[in-house]
Amino acid sequence: MDDHGPGFEAEPDLDEGSIVARAQDGDLAAFEHLVITYQDRVFRLAYRMLNDRGQAEDIVQETLTTSWHGLHMLADVDAFGGWIYRLATNKCLDLLRKRSTRAENVTNPDDIRSVTETGTTRAAAGTDPAHEAEWSAQQDGLTAVLNTLPPAQRACWLLREMHGRTYAEIGATLKISPTAVRGTLARARHQIAEGMSQWR
Amino acid sequence: MALEDIPRLGCGRSIDRIWATLNQPPTAHEAQCDQCQAARTRLKGLSEATRSLREGDLHNPALKPRPGVTNAILDVARAEVRRSKRILLHRTDNGTTEISEQALSSIIRFAATTIPGIHSRRCRIEIRSAADSLSGEDNPTGNSRTTTNAGPHLFVNLRVAAAAGIDIPRTVDALRREIGNAIPAGVGISAGTINITVEDLYDV
Repeated sequence: MDDHGPGFEAEPDLDEGSIVARAQDGDLAAFEHLVITYQDRVFRLAYRMLNDRGQAEDIVQETLTTSWHGLHMLADVDAFGGWIYRLATNKCLDLLRKRSTRAENVTNPDDIRSVTETGTTRAAAGTDPAHEAEWSAQQDGLTAVLNTLPPAQRACWLLREMHGRTYAEIGATLKISPTAVRGTLARARHQIAEGMSQWR
Repeated sequence: MALEDIPRLGCGRSIDRIWATLNQPPTAHEAQCDQCQAARTRLKGLSEATRSLREGDLHNPALKPRPGVTNAILDVARAEVRRSKRILLHRTDNGTTEISEQALSSIIRFAATTIPGIHSRRCRIEIRSAADSLSGEDNPTGNSRTTTNAGPHLFVNLRVAAAAGIDIPRTVDALRREIGNAIPAGVGISAGTINITVEDLYDV
């Protein structure tokens, strides 16, 4: 798939606001473009929140289906991305709350292994094997410690560090002030860095 | 939660400040403070691991939903597509001819693609009978003109984003002419009134 999704061959530089506006008019090609643009981002966020492929896929489907139903109520077309992240994050937090009332968090080891083996060492491809192994261990340490953080703190860290969302947007999602986002992030970094130094 | 919740080292330096200045040389204090040096080393490791995880996840083919998920979302959208209203183009003794607002919008949007610097957005179309139009603001003198052959009068309300820096009046006039030609060519009725609102500017 190219950067512009289906249906927009005549307008390769179409801005996202215009695509959102067309989807609001019921244009399915425009909505399909938005689905293709956001589904992988939502999946990555949900997977790192939930550590479960199937549930992460459910979050993708629920988030984007909800967006279709509520699209006509979105007043600012440029706020679409932030809205999608807010929907997805809150669905993940709801699911984790339900999980915690049922049982301890369960991480599917097969899922983690498959993801680690197929991709997370790619950034270091081409370097010497010893360095690559060290790099991979570092990432394993990061994800292992990340999973020990409370869900809201993990969401805060993922939204900022993996997805580049703004403090204001993260604050709106987690219903805290941008200043509190900064504090939460600092504590998350401190805890992860400490945890990684002890992780082996 | 407040800023004072930001963790501090035993020497008083905040983790936030060390993180923000990781790419700069250590300050005089940091250079001789064991706690700061250890924190800088740990946070540098985190910074590298973070960047590596971000890049790795972004390019990891396993970190994508299966194609069935996309199809399931689009199936719901198709099944629940909001029916656009229909516009009566023609009425005869043997029946009526209508067109959906969406079909007419697609003709208008296609016409807009030929105008550089314009991205069409939401489009609303109304139709009034010529009699309604002539009895209202279009015929303030109230002449008793016959209206039976005048046909319907379309009112197109198109919102667009324009490229920053273009000559908006000239470009929008060209857009209006293009739409004015495309509607009769596409559906066989005259375009009527074409209102265009530039609601946003986009960077080129």
